[in-house]
Amino acid sequence: MNEWLLWARGPMFRFAIMLMMLGMVRLAALNLINLARVAGRSGDKRFPVPAVLRSTAGWLFPRGGALTGHPVFTLSSMIFHLAMIITPIFLGAHILLWERGLGLSWPALAQPLADTLTLAGIVTGLILIVQRMSARSSRDLSRFQDYLLPALITVIFATGYLAIHPGSDPLPYDTVMLIHVVCGNLLLIALPFSKLSHALLFPVTRLASEMGWHLAPDAGRRVAVALDKEDQPI
Amino acid sequence: MHQQPQYTYYAEDFPLEERPRRFLEAFAAILRHSNYGPVLDTYVHVSAKCSLCTAACPVYQATGDSQDIPCHRSELLLRIYRRYFTLGGSLRARFLDSFHLNDEYIDTMAEAFYRCTACKRCLASCPMGIDHALVTHLARWVLSEIGIVPKALLVSVREQLEGETRNTSAIPKVAMLDTCEFLEEELEEIYPGAGITFPIDVEDAEYVFFPAVSDYLLEADTLMGNAAMLHAIGASWTIGSENFDGIDYGLFYSDRMWERIITAQVAEIKRLGGRAMLIGECGHASRSAKEGMQNFIPASERVPVINIMELAHANFLSGKLRLIENAITERTTYHDPCNIARKGWIVEQPREILRHICSDFVEMTPHGVDNYCCGGGGGTVSIDEIRGFRVMVGGQTKAEQIKATGAHYVVTPCANCKKQVSEIIEDFELDVVRTGLHDLFLQAIIMPDGQRPEPRRVFA
Repeated sequence: MNEWLLWARGPMFRFAIMLMMLGMVRLAALNLINLARVAGRSGDKRFPVPAVLRSTAGWLFPRGGALTGHPVFTLSSMIFHLAMIITPIFLGAHILLWERGLGLSWPALAQPLADTLTLAGIVTGLILIVQRMSARSSRDLSRFQDYLLPALITVIFATGYLAIHPGSDPLPYDTVMLIHVVCGNLLLIALPFSKLSHALLFPVTRLASEMGWHLAPDAGRRVAVALDKEDQPI
Repeated sequence: MHQQPQYTYYAEDFPLEERPRRFLEAFAAILRHSNYGPVLDTYVHVSAKCSLCTAACPVYQATGDSQDIPCHRSELLLRIYRRYFTLGGSLRARFLDSFHLNDEYIDTMAEAFYRCTACKRCLASCPMGIDHALVTHLARWVLSEIGIVPKALLVSVREQLEGETRNTSAIPKVAMLDTCEFLEEELEEIYPGAGITFPIDVEDAEYVFFPAVSDYLLEADTLMGNAAMLHAIGASWTIGSENFDGIDYGLFYSDRMWERIITAQVAEIKRLGGRAMLIGECGHASRSAKEGMQNFIPASERVPVINIMELAHANFLSGKLRLIENAITERTTYHDPCNIARKGWIVEQPREILRHICSDFVEMTPHGVDNYCCGGGGGTVSIDEIRGFRVMVGGQTKAEQIKATGAHYVVTPCANCKKQVSEIIEDFELDVVRTGLHDLFLQAIIMPDGQRPEPRRVFA
């Protein structure tokens, strides 16, 4: 068991985090290059940055109508996201690992606060899964990954909590830690290849939605030529 | 399959052989030459299937059918994109997923993308920022390239681009001229001696006027209000007799047609030496002209596009357009056409005027950028054979909204919305009068010499 844990914390983690970073850089580069080409091709070359920032900020801090549609979902989703972003980065135990490995360190969250966020992550993760299953509209839309990803994250939160509080842990420490680390690595790997990429693409999609209407002149005629119907009547 | 599929809308016969292959060829050609590829790339990555858009979509709210969830509808096209145009999708298809495009799937899309009114209300509700109306817009273009397009839209565009009359309502030039003459006579009764005219083919005018051409058939009061307002502010304007139609159904089903139509409209402005394109009370015409001008017309040829309510508002603020305060005493409400309101372009302008001329102006809930579509957006209002669905399902929320205001007048400054709201009033038996903003001006404009309108004869 110990070797497996060493492997998960060592080579597997290094592989996962490199893959995640390279994948994210690739996504960012591809998207920016593509959107620059869109602007180059369209008659409308403006980048609607203020509108994109406004709508991004609008969803980072939802209020009004955004909260009234599905209040439980919106609130639990917000708490879930906050827990997921803040806890792994600012957990004292994680920072210790970075310090040991790379000599980097930054201020840690007070442990009671980290615990609260972790428990909130577990509870809201479960709420999100139950909600997805229980509402017909979202159940009909859902794919396998839509259940798998929140479940994976909930498991990471739960095993993390148990690892920090071995006293309340019914399982052997190494087992819990192995599950925690392997699932964490899988999450990192999934980031650039699944819908989790919205961690990076969150504002980019909005930009794309605006730029999508920056149409290319002459595209229609070229399409007609490609389909061999430029001389056909309508 | 040897029989033409029957959709809820009429479509002309289209070739049935190898439809999936031809659909993919058309999709590939469009992706290659247009700008949609990068957008779909981010959409297939981030689409979260969270179902928040269910709270925004009036069609889904009325039917409760999962097929009508915006995210579900968009997935129809995204799935094809993922499968046939991304590496991950083609690998997945090889090992895991047996999805492939077939005739039945194409028929499903042909229905689904014409149940959406492209009102964009769901855009604001999507945490990921996915514009489902854009996916609808693109899917319809691809479908149209294999011959699947509602006949109502197709014949209109055919007449506009290749027909005798060069307009979607097939109004001959002489009939348009007759109508203008008749409307001038009517205006003479409202403002005797004012000499309000519809100037035709005046060269070097500032504004060349493009209303939705159907106004010449259906909306006499709107047109008269337009002419009276332009007269009152002393505008230099004209109607081009070679092309007097602001409608651009390209926005509803084909960028190829969109570009050809705006190009023809700009050619008419250039023929007359006009300096700006003035759009009548019409949402889609305003948006398709504004965006089309920017996207498709070379910078050297572009002219500003302005909606007539913007012009009225600017002159109202400057004091050039004088309006009788509280001229309308009946309770009045305002319906925001999606294409001009959703992005906040024209929301407050007409309201500032209405609050001045109406003593009892009330709002619908919600309104402005968050308004509900009338149910006839995205070209669906022109498709008469789907009226049952469009009015009773798509228009249900709007009917409830209008009713809740208790208004006598619902101001609906868009040719599409006007037709739809009229049908809503009829089918839901609402006790409301549907009107345009400029229609009301015929009771409110004070001419520069102080002349006020004569009371209208009331038609039974």
